[in-house]
Order: sequence, then C-alpha cells, then structure tokens
Amino acid sequence: MFFQQLVNGVTLGATYALIALGYTMVYGIIQLINFAHGEVYMIGAFVGLIMVAVYKVNFFIALLAAMAVCIPLAVLIERVAYRPLRNSTRLAPLISALGVSIFLQTLVTLIKGDPNPLGFPHVIQDTVYALGPVKFSLIQVVILIVASLLMVFLEITVKYTKIGKAMRATSEDYETANLMGINVNHVVSFTFAAGAALAAAGGVLVGMYFNSINPFMGVTVGLKSFCAAVVGGIGSIPGAMLGGLLLGIAEVFGVAAGFDTYKEAISFGLLIIILLFRPTGLLGHPIQRKV
Amino acid sequence: MRKRIYLFALVALLAVALLAAGCGGSKDAPKAAGGDTIKIGFLGGKTGAHAHYGIETLKGMQMAVDDINKAGGVLGKKLEIVEGDHGSNSSEAANVTQKMITQKVVAIVGDPTTGITKTAAQICQPAKVVLLSAGAVGTGVVEIGDYIYRDTLLDAVAAPAVTKYLSEELKWKKVALVTTTGLSYSESLTAIFKPALAKYGVEIVAEQSIMEKDTNFSAQVTSLSQKSFDGVIFTGYYTEGALFMKEMRKQGLNQVMAGGDGLLGQELYQLGEKAVEGSMVYAGFAVDSKNAVGITKEFIDKYQAKNNNSKPDMFAAQGYDAVMMLAEAMKKANSADPTVFKEALAKTKDFKGVTGTITFDANREPIKSPVYLQEVKNSEFVVKTVIPTA
Repeated sequence: MFFQQLVNGVTLGATYALIALGYTMVYGIIQLINFAHGEVYMIGAFVGLIMVAVYKVNFFIALLAAMAVCIPLAVLIERVAYRPLRNSTRLAPLISALGVSIFLQTLVTLIKGDPNPLGFPHVIQDTVYALGPVKFSLIQVVILIVASLLMVFLEITVKYTKIGKAMRATSEDYETANLMGINVNHVVSFTFAAGAALAAAGGVLVGMYFNSINPFMGVTVGLKSFCAAVVGGIGSIPGAMLGGLLLGIAEVFGVAAGFDTYKEAISFGLLIIILLFRPTGLLGHPIQRKV
Repeated sequence: MRKRIYLFALVALLAVALLAAGCGGSKDAPKAAGGDTIKIGFLGGKTGAHAHYGIETLKGMQMAVDDINKAGGVLGKKLEIVEGDHGSNSSEAANVTQKMITQKVVAIVGDPTTGITKTAAQICQPAKVVLLSAGAVGTGVVEIGDYIYRDTLLDAVAAPAVTKYLSEELKWKKVALVTTTGLSYSESLTAIFKPALAKYGVEIVAEQSIMEKDTNFSAQVTSLSQKSFDGVIFTGYYTEGALFMKEMRKQGLNQVMAGGDGLLGQELYQLGEKAVEGSMVYAGFAVDSKNAVGITKEFIDKYQAKNNNSKPDMFAAQGYDAVMMLAEAMKKANSADPTVFKEALAKTKDFKGVTGTITFDANREPIKSPVYLQEVKNSEFVVKTVIPTA
C-alpha cells in the first residue's frame, strides 16, 4: 500500500517536475516568474488531444506535435510580452505574464466554445504490471520513462553543450555574459523553448493520465509547479525535479490519509514550512546581492 | 484647477449614468405591468459544469409552455419563460434569481441542483414567488418555506429501493462508498445510502472522499484496491464519476458503480468510455421505448421530433412536468397570484406527469413512483429495470 501510493505520488510528481523546470529555468536567466507557463502546458494538452482524436496519430507523434506547437508559442510570448519590458521594473513583465495567462485561457475557451472538460481518447491500454506487491499501470510507466528521458536530455544539454554553457553563463551574470559576446536574446529564447517543450510533454502526459483536460487546467497545476520550483530552490534545475517529486508525493499521501479536502493546503503548507527553514529552497544557492 | 475639472467630469458622468438607468427603467415598466402573459422563470446553468441539466430542463419547460399555449394558455393568458442563466456558478445564482423576481415572474422552475435551489429558495420565500425545482433531490429544500416545491424523485425514496435491488437481485454484499466532499448533493445522498445499505445487509468495506473538479484519483483508488467488494456506490456527479471509473480500470479494478441522477448525462460515457460500461444510474425518468404509453409516449415522440431524434432525459421530463403542475395549480386556484395558487399546488395529488405519478405529502415533499434504474450499455443509457416505490 505504501509503495503503491509512492508510485502514484512519483508519477504525479514527475509531471509537476516537468512543468516546474520551465519556471525555474526562466527565473534563473531573467528573474521572471513566467505565469503564462501553465497555459503553455494547457495548450500542449489540447494539441495532444487534437492530434490523437482528429489525426489518429500515436502517442509519441502527439507528444512531438505538442512540443512543436508550444515551442514557437513560448518563444513568441517571450518576444511579444516580455522582451520589450526587459529593462523596465521587475513588476512589469510579471503583470504582462498574468495578462498572457488570462488571454490564453480565454482564447482556448473561445475556440473550444465552452469551458467544460474534454476526455482524452484511450491511446494507451489499461495494462497493469506487477513488481512484487506494487502495480504499475502502463500509463504510469510511460510517464515515468518520458519524464526521466526529457530531464536527462535537459541535464545533458545544460551541462555539456555550447548553448547550455551560454545558459549557465547568462544565469550567473546576465550583463557580463552579454559583454563576453554571448547573444543573450538567443539564450533567453532557447530557455523559453526548452521550458515549453517540457511543459507541452507534461500536458499530453497529464491529459492521458487523468483523461480530462480543460482551458483552466494550467492555473492550479501551474501554481503547484511554481511552488515545486520554489521548494526545490528557484533557479536550480535539480531543485525543480526534487521539488516536483516531493510535492506530488506529499499530495498523494495527504489524499490517501483521507485529507482530500486539504490537498492544496498540504502543497502550499509544505512550501511555507520549507521556506521558513530554507528561504532559498532545498537546493537553491544562497542569495547573492548583485551590485 | 485641474482637480476641479476631474470632479466636474465625474459628476457629469454620474449624471449621465443615472439618466440612462432611469430611461431603462421606464422602458421596462409597461412590459412588466402589462400582464398579457404569465411569466415563469427558468433558473439553471446554460453553460459551465452543469450546463447539461440546465439546457435539458429549459427544453422540457419550453415544450410544456408550447403545449399549454397551443391549448389556449392559462386563465386566458399565454405563458412566457424568463431565462435566468447562472453559468453553473453558485455565486451568480442569487443575482439571477433576484433579477427574475424584479421581472415579475410568478414562479421559477429550477435549479436542477440542490445547492443552488437552496440559495434561490432563500430569496423566493420572502419575495413570495413559487420555486419549483425540477432537479433538487437533496435534503432541506422544501423546509425553507411554503413557496418552495420540487417534482423530483427523492433520493430518500429511490436510494432504498435501488439498494434493495442491488442486494436482492444483483447479490451485492460488500460495497465501497465514494463521496464528493463539499458537494451538498453527494453528502446527503451518502447519508441516505448508509442506513439503506445497513438495512438490506450490505457492508461498506471502504469509504473514500473526492472533491469536485479533481482529476487525479490514483490515491483513492489505490486505497480501494486493498479491499474486496462487489461494487462502488458513487454519490457524486458524472465528470468525477467517469474519471474515477477510468482510474479504477487503470489500476486493474473491474467493479461497476451505482449512483444517483448526478451521474446522469451523456458526459458520463463520453468521458468514461469503456470504463463506465455496466455502471448503473437511477433516475425519476428514462426513455423506456418499449413500455412507454400515454402522455409519456407523446412527450418522448414530440421531444424526438424536435431534437434530431435524440431521447429526452429526466431533466427535460421533469422540466415539462414542473410547468404542467404550475399551470394546473393556477387553473384550480383560478389565479396566477403565487400567494393564492401555491395552496392549490400544495394539494397536488396523483398528478399524472410524463415522469410518473406525483403527490405532495403533508410536508410538501413529492412522493413519486416509479424509479428507473438505467445501465450504460455501448455508450448509451438503457433501462435495466423499473422499480415501483412502495
């Protein structure tokens, strides 16, 4: 029972982690909390649904299609809503982000015609694998594998590629990186693109896992993933993964213990407690004041 | 100087606004006082989570109004529906109700849900407007006052009859009970099922709670998977019901669920697909094409002719009956004044509606017969059995 719930928690946590990575990377580079990120995830889920339901493609093509739509979308959002405000007060892009978020929710509701949830077609069979007393459903296995692969891929990109190096440099010191000849605009665009790809994947996976998507699904999940990013230490990539997993596990165990009504309180309570003891999050760097 | 200009502009704006409001009022006034029609309000959501209930209720009401008007109306006047759409938003419901009352409706049919009916009842009772809900099945509705009625099959009547069937015919001995906490309908239905299950010797081996709008039920289902049981009693709405069953299939559990009319709606099998096959839903009305006779058959035929051959559900039928009962009470009382015809309404006895017979008891609660127990079969609700209530 304990391990079974752990599997549920880790699966949920993996989806939070995928989305949390987008928050944390963007914050790491331009210190912006990208509140429209949850909507990118929502749109990813809708693109996945359209691909599966209308074009009858298989799951992996749907996943790639969702990424292919969400990457330019996120780059466009950054170009239109954040870049013109890069040198203004820090509050301006934050408000702009909230605006984009509401705009996208309403746009999808308008296109869809109503805000009611849509079911996801049955693309993955309900096969159950048993590992001793613990059962994994096929969809859980798929989520865990896809999420792990994407995170490993991200880690390699950031650590061992040229653009990854540029990302790390920009994150460390935006101005100096710029002076050293790094095209920071490219780096920022790439960061948004990478975050969007992960969120789109998260959207399709969650859509399939919970069989239900709606235009407002990005709001709570976005907040929780942001919370996961902060718990892990905002700006830290392994932190976002850890934060996501912790949050997913805490939520599932809370529900399993019968506190379904307090599910959200558990997530956000965890955030408060961790921040009280570690203001920079579990794996966050100590705050450095930039001069 | 500058400040003064702003102040002036503000005053001017306010004056214009007041003037505009005034004009609007005087335009509306003759319409309301004219009284060449009898206005009946519709309270429900045409959009949002419970849109299905609202839209169907309104369709049924419209059919009843058309039938009555074709036959000459009530007391020489035609009936007219005033629509109050709250978008499935309980915080909007009070505003919408208030607005219909200012539009001089004599009665309101709605809301399809228990929670919003109670909210609206608190407004209708002091305003002396009859509220006849064509969907509220929970407890504590008509107790609000003598202007509040409903024409639904009460869970208190239906759930024990269904439990008896599950226990005696389907041999369910152990069940898991799933409640949507914070949802008034679900909590009261659970409270009705518990003693009924005990009475017919069915043991509740596990209880789980979920919340409305939840999509992740993995933790609850994992907890259930530790127990063995014959079926699930699910007291919530169709969206969560469908997703809950999908999660059960995902975790390899194959039991079916049974629940009240909160599960009734094509969304159940549209969302739930194969996972809800065999699930049972009881309701106060269903299309039983083979056995339908009389006005029930007429109603079904008329509805199908108007709606591309799709079948009417309980909400449409109860919406129809609600308007018919109001019209009959007005005719009996020879008055369209709610303070007068509410007395005749309270005395309704053996009213033959399209949903069955309806009698209001001493507490103004409807006693209806029969219960239609339906089953999802090939993504359709099919009548499994018709259980007469005692």
